[in-house]
Amino acid sequence: MTIAVEFSDTSRHFGSVKAVDGVDLQIEEGSFFAMLGPSGSGKTTCLRLISGFEQPTGGQIRIFGEDVSNTPPHLRNVNTVFQDYALFPHMSVRDNVAYGLMVKGMGKRERLSQAEEMLDLVKLGQFGDRKPSQLSGGQRQRVALARALVNKPRVLLLDEPLGALDLKLREAMQDELKALQHRLGLTFVFVTHDQHEALSMADSLAVFSDGKIAQIGTPAEVYDRPRTRFVADFVGSSNVLPPQLTQKLGGPAQWSSIRPEQIRLADAGPLFGPVTALRYLGAGTRVVIDAEGTQVAAFVPAGQPVPAEGSIAYLNFDAAALNVMEEK
Amino acid sequence: MTPSTATLPTRGIADRLTGLFWRRPGIFLLLLLLPPLLWLGVIYLGSLLALLLQSFYSIDEFSGMVRQELTLKTYGELLRPQNLDILIRTVVMAAAVTLACAAIAFPIAYYAARFAKGHWKAVFYLGVMLPLWSSYLVKVYAWKLILAKEGILSWAANATGTSFIIDGLLALPVIGSSSLSTSPLGTFMVFVYVWLPYMILPMQAALERVPTSMLEASADLGATRGQTFRTVILPLALPGVIAGSIFTFSLTLGDYIIPQIVGNSANFIGMAVYQLQGTAGNIPLAAAFAVVPILIMLVYLWLAKRAGAFDAL
Repeated sequence: MTIAVEFSDTSRHFGSVKAVDGVDLQIEEGSFFAMLGPSGSGKTTCLRLISGFEQPTGGQIRIFGEDVSNTPPHLRNVNTVFQDYALFPHMSVRDNVAYGLMVKGMGKRERLSQAEEMLDLVKLGQFGDRKPSQLSGGQRQRVALARALVNKPRVLLLDEPLGALDLKLREAMQDELKALQHRLGLTFVFVTHDQHEALSMADSLAVFSDGKIAQIGTPAEVYDRPRTRFVADFVGSSNVLPPQLTQKLGGPAQWSSIRPEQIRLADAGPLFGPVTALRYLGAGTRVVIDAEGTQVAAFVPAGQPVPAEGSIAYLNFDAAALNVMEEK
Repeated sequence: MTPSTATLPTRGIADRLTGLFWRRPGIFLLLLLLPPLLWLGVIYLGSLLALLLQSFYSIDEFSGMVRQELTLKTYGELLRPQNLDILIRTVVMAAAVTLACAAIAFPIAYYAARFAKGHWKAVFYLGVMLPLWSSYLVKVYAWKLILAKEGILSWAANATGTSFIIDGLLALPVIGSSSLSTSPLGTFMVFVYVWLPYMILPMQAALERVPTSMLEASADLGATRGQTFRTVILPLALPGVIAGSIFTFSLTLGDYIIPQIVGNSANFIGMAVYQLQGTAGNIPLAAAFAVVPILIMLVYLWLAKRAGAFDAL
């Protein structure tokens, strides 16, 4: 197993603002790695530290073992798909894709044929002559992808790559990106604030909060066993239970979390209280009860009876589903 | 609650007019555009056409009267050596001024567009605009004093022992003379000073429209700073450079005050027009001279368009 990108105690402070603060991170070669977090959590700064647009104020960054602290962006064999795509408006789509090869001095015929090949790969073979302004958002995104991939980067960085696309296109692009990554075997590092995107695409992910990594793991690990209240709340909106409630449910006196879909309605159970909100979600209904002052949500699959608002409901779950967290 | 009607009553003439404009947006647009269209169409284009027409008349050498018959004789006179001299001198000066303005303006505009924030941006705008607030004539006369033999520039050069630089420049053929204020070099310097803001401002506006992410994308794809400048910044800023150069070029082509006050009194197009329509009373030749800058600018714009200067617009 090779480590493609490694952060060791890496920090990037802007004056008193600790955008990235003592991050330790290893990204395996060939993996699809997600950096997930709310805006201002340091995930984009981490990406920019890899591409070289930011320099660490502390610690090191290694790309395939090489310390890149003194390497400017244009000498790093790493390419980025920018959030706004940053396509050059005065060049044709083909010239955009060939740009990286051109500045490295490749001959015209060779670079244009490689660009054409890459455009075929992202299914834009017949669009080479157009200007970026003549393409739709989804097509521009593919051009940005092709422009990065044609350089055969050792790591591909994607900054909120799907943020500007509508829902349907976004889902299609998620599958396509995943398939592309699988086919090329490249290391993809992508930044997102959308937990669904991170969970569905990544092999492993890091959840960022306030410039630090709150948790690292596979999507299943992070989703099922959040380590902190922040992660439990941010990734998939778990129920977060205070220590006294955890204790009452048979756990230690610590904070714990449990997912709505692991809770079922029952005739009797340890958690009960009046139903305060009902939200119909299509595949089921989200029922929220007030259990001793804590709002607890349960997911009732479609077809099962839903209690009326205001009535007392009992909730039950498997003891193993209760996730006790380390953080106080 | 009493049900109200679907529409409210009109509240007078203004509401009825608004209603009319809402139903017929074209009328509103026409009303907005009519005054400027009349101004541009009748007064501006009309006088340009009158000028063009005048240039095809000729002057009777004996009576000094304008003969109102269409002829190319006046344009032929433009090609006489002394007139051709004026044309060439003016165009070379305008080109040199434009190049110098572009070279000086670019770093200033680049700094303002990319790095200046908050207060420094205000300082930039103030610094660039402030000279435009004072009278043009005052600035030109001020420069005459600065450049004069006994002026502050030669005084400073004497004090610092660098007068050999000024002497060396003045010893150059064609552009030199006995002092800076009477040399073509001096005319050039004043032109550059006076027109510089007209180059900086459009350049800065164009550079501001180049997103930082585009420069980062270029570096990300492996381009050096020089390559990014040539292949991304310059093409994207070119419309601004062209806009600025149109100002500096055409303003220099038409100016008749600066070469009169600073320089060796050699004629420029503007001065020739001024003299011909005034003292000499040769309106056709003045008109022919005035048409030349228009033609030059048209050719310049056509060349710029062909070179793709406006592709990034």
